[in-house]
Amino acid sequence: MLEASALSKSYASIPAVSNVSFSLEPGQVLGCLGPNGSGKSTTVKMLTGLLQPTRGKVLFRGEDIREDLAGFRKCLGYVPEEPNLYPYLSGREYLEIIAILRGMSPARRGARLDALLNLFAMYSHRDGVIGSYSKGMRQRILLIAALMDNPPILILDEPMSGLDATTALILKNLIKGLGRQGRAVFYCSHVMEVVEQVCSHLLILRKGDVVASGTMESIQQNANYSPLEQTFMHLVEEVDTDQVSGEIIAAMDSG
Amino acid sequence: MKCTRWQAMRATWTALLSTPFAYAVRLFLGRILHGPGDSGEGELTLSAGLILALLPLPGAFYAVFLFEQYSTLLQWMRGEHIADPVAAAMPEEYFFIVLSMVVTGVVAVWRWEAIFPDRRDYANLVHLPLGTSTIFLANLIAVFTLALILAIDVNLGSALLFPLAIGASVNSFAFFVQFAWVHARVVFGASLFSFLAVFLTVGLLMLLLPYRLFRKLSLYLRSAIVGCLVAALATSFAVPSALRNLPDDPVKWLPPVWFLGLAQLIRQGASSHMAAMGRIAVVGLSVVTLGSVLIYAISYRRCFARTAEATGNSRGSALQSFRWLYKVLDHTVLTSPFQRAGYRFVMSTLFRNDQHSLILGGFSGLGIVLASQFLFSSFDPRHPLTGHLPPPHLLAIPLILSYSVMVGVRLAFEIPTELRANWSFRFNVDANSEGVSLALKVMLSFVWPWSITIAVTLCALFWGVRAGLLEGFVLVLWPYLLGRILLLHFRKIPFTCPAPRFRESAIVVGIAFVLGFFAFAIATAYLEYWAMFDPVAMAVLIGIGGASWYAVSRLHADVSELDREITFEADPQSGLELLDLNRGR
Repeated sequence: MLEASALSKSYASIPAVSNVSFSLEPGQVLGCLGPNGSGKSTTVKMLTGLLQPTRGKVLFRGEDIREDLAGFRKCLGYVPEEPNLYPYLSGREYLEIIAILRGMSPARRGARLDALLNLFAMYSHRDGVIGSYSKGMRQRILLIAALMDNPPILILDEPMSGLDATTALILKNLIKGLGRQGRAVFYCSHVMEVVEQVCSHLLILRKGDVVASGTMESIQQNANYSPLEQTFMHLVEEVDTDQVSGEIIAAMDSG
Repeated sequence: MKCTRWQAMRATWTALLSTPFAYAVRLFLGRILHGPGDSGEGELTLSAGLILALLPLPGAFYAVFLFEQYSTLLQWMRGEHIADPVAAAMPEEYFFIVLSMVVTGVVAVWRWEAIFPDRRDYANLVHLPLGTSTIFLANLIAVFTLALILAIDVNLGSALLFPLAIGASVNSFAFFVQFAWVHARVVFGASLFSFLAVFLTVGLLMLLLPYRLFRKLSLYLRSAIVGCLVAALATSFAVPSALRNLPDDPVKWLPPVWFLGLAQLIRQGASSHMAAMGRIAVVGLSVVTLGSVLIYAISYRRCFARTAEATGNSRGSALQSFRWLYKVLDHTVLTSPFQRAGYRFVMSTLFRNDQHSLILGGFSGLGIVLASQFLFSSFDPRHPLTGHLPPPHLLAIPLILSYSVMVGVRLAFEIPTELRANWSFRFNVDANSEGVSLALKVMLSFVWPWSITIAVTLCALFWGVRAGLLEGFVLVLWPYLLGRILLLHFRKIPFTCPAPRFRESAIVVGIAFVLGFFAFAIATAYLEYWAMFDPVAMAVLIGIGGASWYAVSRLHADVSELDREITFEADPQSGLELLDLNRGR
């Protein structure tokens, strides 16, 4: 359905992502893991068409997304990493603007918005300005915006950020449910427990390169580590976390 | 020795500036000037400079117009002689007092919510080892410093140019200095009074009303105060003639009258009634100063203490009542999903974002000032109304307002907001969307509804259907053409691109805007006036309209397809680049 073919991106000749390839099929929930600076956000931006790759292509149903970017985005729901929204708009106004831009009819958007605002516990806050929302509330607005047009592909970049425990649990189940329903979900996160729970497939990036890709089981088997956390540390991290935490405490005591 | 003392003073001053208290004052001053919003990367961060640059403009503009009235050469050419320039300038002096109070008052109302420490200050400061008295005093000093800066800035242009204009009729430097000194003190006092009166009102309302009710009513109260201030400005031409009936006339309750009395009292030219007014001005200024400090102290405790309890405000619901209007527009004017969504976004930004409200308000204010001057001169006994035809100055009023508002909106389009949030549009908008059409519809929706309903109807009622139809023709076509000219090479969604870099052309554009004002508002008004009784002038007017339409359409048609595509860059590359093949020769 969605395929990244040898994607590369450089910023001022400094490579951020090199030769990243993977495919996302209906029913798959593909988790993307990697430390800071590993190229996750750049990959996501290229997947959504917000960033043009230096080399390589993103293919949707076999066609380069650049051929019909508007058509591709109609099929895409996207939650960005940062909840950057217009603070002077109310939550409902923002969602209405997005719904209209996506070409949703007034009847469809009215009913669906009310239902989703209600389910995400935002109905009573819908007319408050976004500037007064907490981070979790902004995140919920982004999730509603991504889901309201019922897209077949979802790209979620740190969607749990700031969410309360209940909403986070709902979202975990929702992602699994969407996968079972046949939707393709690209799920980017730092929280390995969640990735382990919701994702069927995994893509691990390190310094812009793919270091592991495949089903969750196959990656864990190949790495010979059982919990995802250990697999990740084995594949990606180069620091002794115990040692660094000890050094931080020592630095606090010094001087 | 001297040097050592100077060095010691400098060292003390530097030490004082680096105290936590001084930092807190600067923090609050910056907060009040910049507003409470988050400024994103790449956004316009010159709001304080922009504010201070815009504020003296209305007064300076108006003062420039007075040179024509008071120039000795022009008086000689007209066969007039102003024997007592101070008495002759009384209506204008009153107008400047009103203007200084209105501009300062509007700024105070606009910064209403930033005057008192807010939730962010609470979150950032309360946990620090700063006493609440430090925060209290720092904010108070910041507020008074701002009041002083505003009072000086707002009157900077007029305090110099108005006495210059009046002095032109006397040719005496001593007269100029004396007049300027009195005028400057009075308008400065009037500005200070206005700011502190708004400050006092905020504090009083906070004190008297339950906190939640105050938050809810805030927008309506601000609108009411702005309405009163604008009404004071619009009726300022009628007040000076009513001063003859003092002390029975209710104008004695107007604070600008008190300050006019003060000016006359200082110049020792006041009647007993006006002298009494002048004394009230002094008492009034003292009362609002002391009262605002007292009320601030009381309401500070209440406001700041409750900050943590305050939940999100519901400012967004204020425009919810206009949803029906959007629905009507969706079915009539806004022809695509892009336009429907874009229109909602642009309108919300213009009315809710502080920077954009300021620009729109500033240009509208400038328009109102100029229009009220033209209204004033329309009723001037030196230029009486003929009764058969509307005078050109009256015909110019809707054009002046249209020009000011449209230029203001166009300028506001260039000022970005929340650039980090523009991914919403990047993600959902097609590059071929019609940015020009959206922007034009927004601009015209600020002008056409009132100009067609009010100006055309009034014109038809007072001067007949023919005059009304001609007025309608001008007020529909001219703003449309102006909008199309202003949007030539426009390929953005308003507010979603970084501000364009200032280039050499900025001065040329500025001059073009001033010249455009005279062509659009003044020349058109006179041509329209002539067209009402002269068929040749009518043909010329229609011919100019048709030719301009054709020229503007050609200019838009010549823009390449690539240069029409929506962009999110400040200086997008043109789709067409000329090869300079002669360069190497």
